[in-house]
Amino acid sequence: MSSEDTKEKILNLARKSSKGITDKDIIAEIPGISSVELVTALNDLLKQERFDLFNQNGSLIYKLKTQTNKHAIKGADNEEKVVYNLIEEAGNKGIWIRDIRIRSNLANTQLTKVLKNLESKKVIKAVKCVNASKKKVYMLYNLEPDRSLTGGAWYQDQDFESEFVDVLNVQCHRFLSQRADNMRNNPRGPVFGRTQAYATATEVQKYITDLGISKVVLDVDDVTTILNTLVYDGKVEKSVFPDGSNVYRAIETLIPSSGLVQVPCGICPLIQRCNSSGLITPQVCNYMTEWLE
Amino acid sequence: MSHQLGRVVSVILQRYFGENVQKVGDDLFTYGSKPIALLVKSTGLSRIKVVESLRTLLKYDLAMFEPTPNEVIADYRLIPENVLLMIRYPRYLLQIKTKYGSEAEILIEELLQKACSTATVLLVSIAVKYKDDKEKNMTIVKLKDIFISLITAGYIQQASVAELKEGSEIPTLVPVATITPEIDVRAVIKIMNSGNLAESSDNVYWKVNYDRFHQDIRDEIMIKAITRRIDENAGELLRHMLQHMYLTSPAWAAESTLVPAVELREACLRAAADKPLLNQYFDQYLKVLEESGCGTVRADAGGRGYSVRGAGAARGCLLALLEGLVTERLGYKAARIFRIILDKKYIEEDDVQKNAMLPNKECKELSYKLLEEHFISLQPMRKTASAGGMNKAVYLFHINLHDVAHTVQDMCYKALGNVLRRASHERAAHARLLDKQRRVRSIVHGMRLRAEPQQNIDDVEETLTPSELAVLQGVEKRLKQLSAAELEIDKNLFILKWYFMYTH
Repeated sequence: MSSEDTKEKILNLARKSSKGITDKDIIAEIPGISSVELVTALNDLLKQERFDLFNQNGSLIYKLKTQTNKHAIKGADNEEKVVYNLIEEAGNKGIWIRDIRIRSNLANTQLTKVLKNLESKKVIKAVKCVNASKKKVYMLYNLEPDRSLTGGAWYQDQDFESEFVDVLNVQCHRFLSQRADNMRNNPRGPVFGRTQAYATATEVQKYITDLGISKVVLDVDDVTTILNTLVYDGKVEKSVFPDGSNVYRAIETLIPSSGLVQVPCGICPLIQRCNSSGLITPQVCNYMTEWLE
Repeated sequence: MSHQLGRVVSVILQRYFGENVQKVGDDLFTYGSKPIALLVKSTGLSRIKVVESLRTLLKYDLAMFEPTPNEVIADYRLIPENVLLMIRYPRYLLQIKTKYGSEAEILIEELLQKACSTATVLLVSIAVKYKDDKEKNMTIVKLKDIFISLITAGYIQQASVAELKEGSEIPTLVPVATITPEIDVRAVIKIMNSGNLAESSDNVYWKVNYDRFHQDIRDEIMIKAITRRIDENAGELLRHMLQHMYLTSPAWAAESTLVPAVELREACLRAAADKPLLNQYFDQYLKVLEESGCGTVRADAGGRGYSVRGAGAARGCLLALLEGLVTERLGYKAARIFRIILDKKYIEEDDVQKNAMLPNKECKELSYKLLEEHFISLQPMRKTASAGGMNKAVYLFHINLHDVAHTVQDMCYKALGNVLRRASHERAAHARLLDKQRRVRSIVHGMRLRAEPQQNIDDVEETLTPSELAVLQGVEKRLKQLSAAELEIDKNLFILKWYFMYTH
């Protein structure tokens, strides 16, 4: 048996088992292999970087490296490989430079150099995080950053697009209000009317998509977030259908907005400073004078 | 008992009873309870004036007295809640007018002015007042009937009777159960014709039962809320439910006893003519009312009976009130944050931002503003001391509804005080003109009665120059607006008081 054949057999064996293989597995697969042959073959393979080597309960485990892995870091030195592995592990959530430094045990200057190197090779990229503008995280070049980093559809280059949210908020409310009229004095009974007044997030999403006001594709989750803001605005009520899906219905406030807010004092920013005597008094209050005119 | 409440009470007393009563009222408010001698000393008024003021306060139920421990002299105490009710009088009148007609309104108005009166005196004084008014055609018989029906409906009740306990020199007021009286119309007419009220042997005193009016206001709020939330039919159903509730439960119970669904159905059947939908879908309306009625109504397990939850309704209305206030003061985005915190009970600053869908900076600013105005509170959660500098405390936003309600109540008091103060300021500033107008009017009225020539009447009227008339018009308009505002603020105070009934 040539050494090439042995290597091929070992690789085949490793491909079958995702958990990795041990010396014993190999001996069982290729009976009669001498330990010298085995060691040479394995050493060759390790040199070619086909295997990762792990130590489990005292026995060595060989695990096949993924193909992309192998290609991406061709010609890289050891530091780069370590850093690359850490970044790869983090997936599309990215990893913070500080965490890389702690885990790789590299000095700060060296690490910056390595990262710059990898970046220039377009192997990794730096992504800015929305909830902390100064914080940069690194991830593999070909990955799409996670929602928690980019903030999803609501962010444009780390800026929250509040106007976009407002527009959607208004549109969703309009859609639900149109339906809500079904509830009042429905000739087919209130339960039927209420069911008609309810809309699921999917229906709202379809309406919004048909309107074509959004350049970004909004999925149901995005629309649900918008609907939740409406719930918190007190304009919409959330309920659950028997099949477990969340439904939404436009509602009116229990009491009309009146009372205190009809008087200037109700909305006066100086109410805490106003008194019977002194500079700010109701007798000379400008807000009140304007209101009484 | 806030400082702001003291301000309002003081202005109200000044407006309706003058400065002496105001002084005595202020003093009583500040010191809690006091005997007459101390009042004389601290107010600087003469004893007669203090006694007079106290008499007025006691008559209108604005103060109370109780014996001091030695049982010889009495301590007097102000009842600020009752003073505030004086603002609500126009509402009572409007309410009774829509329910029982204008005669009932006149009756209640007279009784409110007299505070406490025997039936004979009340009926005679109204009949005399409107003797010449042919349009209204007030007869004693008609007035008596209305009076009796108001008693039956509970709007008028018997006043407490003073009783002298043994060993004490101070009488105590004992509430009496109201019994519908037999009023001898002939005797009343006789007294009216003779014009001598002293002849009457009537010694049962009556006064207005505010609580009955408040029940009506409360019911109206609840029904309106349900009508807004669901529809008119559901509102009507709640009205029936409330009527049934009164038969078995105390009016202000946090949760009433069960109203049987069968009885409700019968009531709705009787009223089927104008609400066909309610009748047709009775069961469905009950279901919707329970599920979407914001906790106003609760069904028992079998669905055989329903109970009205006054506490739940009060909470719902209070929330609507608070949210409205936050929206008006700080904008709808702040109201959103307010609701998020309310919904999540305790929440971290970052999570607020995630839920509110607002830019980070704006969200923070609004949260801090809410905090500054005491709409929300901050709860620090300190981690136990451990080594290292990474030991930051977590700050959670939280809403204590009871506290917020108190804050808003104080704001209402302040606004009410300001409005009242402004009104009295307007009156004082134009006192001379208003006085002149009043005099001209009374002269003209007298001349008309004496049928003097139109020329003379015009001459008198022209003493008010056009510019003066313009100013007067402006003042009148402003005063009208201010008194409308008083009523509006009072509406909010009503809801707040209603909420406080169930939380202490």
